[in-house]
Amino acid sequence: MIDERQEELASLHALDLLERGERSRFEGEIASNPQLQVLVRDLRETVSHVASAVPRPLPPPGLKTRVLASLPPAPPEAQPVPRGQIEWFSLAPWALAASLALACVWLGLQWTSSRTHGELLRTQLALTETTLQGTRQQLEAERIVRQRQLSNLEQEVATGSAQIAEARRQATEREQQVARLTRDLRSQISLANLKITALASLLEQTPKASAVAVWDPVQQEGVLKVEKLPALRPTQDYQLWVVDPQYPNPVDGGVFSVDPATGEARLVFKARQPVSNISAFAVTLERKGGVPKAEGPFVLLGK
Amino acid sequence: MSIMLSCLPDGSGCRSAVRESFGRTGRPRAAMTSDPSEVPDLRQRDETDARLLRQVASGDREAFSQLYDRFSGPLYGAALQILRDAAEAQDVVHDAFVSLWEKAAAFETSRGSAFAWAMTLVRNRAIDRLRMRRRRTELLADSAPEDLGYAGDFHAFTGGDSAALDDNARLVRAAVATLPPEQQKALELAFFSGLTQEEIARKLREPLGTVKARIRRGLLKLREALAPKL
Repeated sequence: MIDERQEELASLHALDLLERGERSRFEGEIASNPQLQVLVRDLRETVSHVASAVPRPLPPPGLKTRVLASLPPAPPEAQPVPRGQIEWFSLAPWALAASLALACVWLGLQWTSSRTHGELLRTQLALTETTLQGTRQQLEAERIVRQRQLSNLEQEVATGSAQIAEARRQATEREQQVARLTRDLRSQISLANLKITALASLLEQTPKASAVAVWDPVQQEGVLKVEKLPALRPTQDYQLWVVDPQYPNPVDGGVFSVDPATGEARLVFKARQPVSNISAFAVTLERKGGVPKAEGPFVLLGK
Repeated sequence: MSIMLSCLPDGSGCRSAVRESFGRTGRPRAAMTSDPSEVPDLRQRDETDARLLRQVASGDREAFSQLYDRFSGPLYGAALQILRDAAEAQDVVHDAFVSLWEKAAAFETSRGSAFAWAMTLVRNRAIDRLRMRRRRTELLADSAPEDLGYAGDFHAFTGGDSAALDDNARLVRAAVATLPPEQQKALELAFFSGLTQEEIARKLREPLGTVKARIRRGLLKLREALAPKL
């Protein structure tokens, strides 16, 4: 039984329209189907006759001459062997020879097969080695790349550490700068708060004697600079007093002596008690070493 | 294909031509097989061809000369129809006959007639050349031409001088004329264009399955009509 698909394939096969793979498969199918063989043969026949029904211009006369001239020597004639005339004993040597030939062929095939198998294994081994070598090279390349990356990272870390140290150093400098600025600022603030007072002479015999007192209320300290004061006897000292209304008596600022030649002196002093509001500075002439409460005459006074 | 030379545009002539070719009754196969007058001649022709080919296989040049005289007309016509070039058609026929000489011993009657074998040799060679020519043209151009190359006007079976045809060819033409036009077109492209299935479908602007079915139906009808006679 032939179905439509087979009919279609047979038609296309007769017209040589099947693709190579399709044709191979179908020829396999034909080989095992006698009905299909008949159909294919008939369709081939039909195609040949249909193709011959086209207009027929006569072939040029020279073509036959050309064809005949091109013929190679006669092909070997197939010699059919008549049945029934075979003498079986005459075939024995041929059978033996054929057996030997078959044996040789079988051995040859075995040898070739073994050799081919060996070559195949060697080829596979070579391929595996090549693959292994390739993998090794790849790993080595990756190792080098990783090492380079690690080196780069280490360099980056070193650079980072240096940057951190530099940043710390700069931060320290900044802190120091800030401290300095703060100090300067405080100084400036202190300077703004300084109390500067000029002291004038109260002595008739030395009217040109004078002094300047500078007082820092934050530091609770000050500087007294005097000039043209009369020289002292060895048993005497000049004593500075800070007058703060919060105390009933002037606060002791310390004793000093002057250069006998110039009458000058410079005294850095601190008040004996905390002073907040200075109304005047005064200098008295006291006995050597000073007294807790002013006793001697006033030499200088400044408000 | 439009119609045969012996046909009128309305197809009535075809019917008479078919009747003439197929016998007075105009009946298909069953009636034809019962006509004993024509079959023996055609069978005798095939047997003669086969005998000549066997003689060729034994190196008989005279037999080869006779075979050439019997086959060269239709073979050259087919080659020319495919290639549309006289020189190339001659080359193909030349090569096919030389091959026939060399391979005559391989011919088996069980696989078809000697003429079918010779026609296959010619057709295959001609189509190979046609495809090679087309590939060359495509390679020389920037891209494949839109037209697939076959300039056939679907009149392959109707042109030429019908008087120059033998009974066999006239019979085939009559059988072809009974096919629907779309089957005739598909078959003609399949016979002579050297196009592949897909290219034929593109040329006809039809789905591939439709084209395959038309080729199948057309060829089976021709087989049914011609087998008893050829």
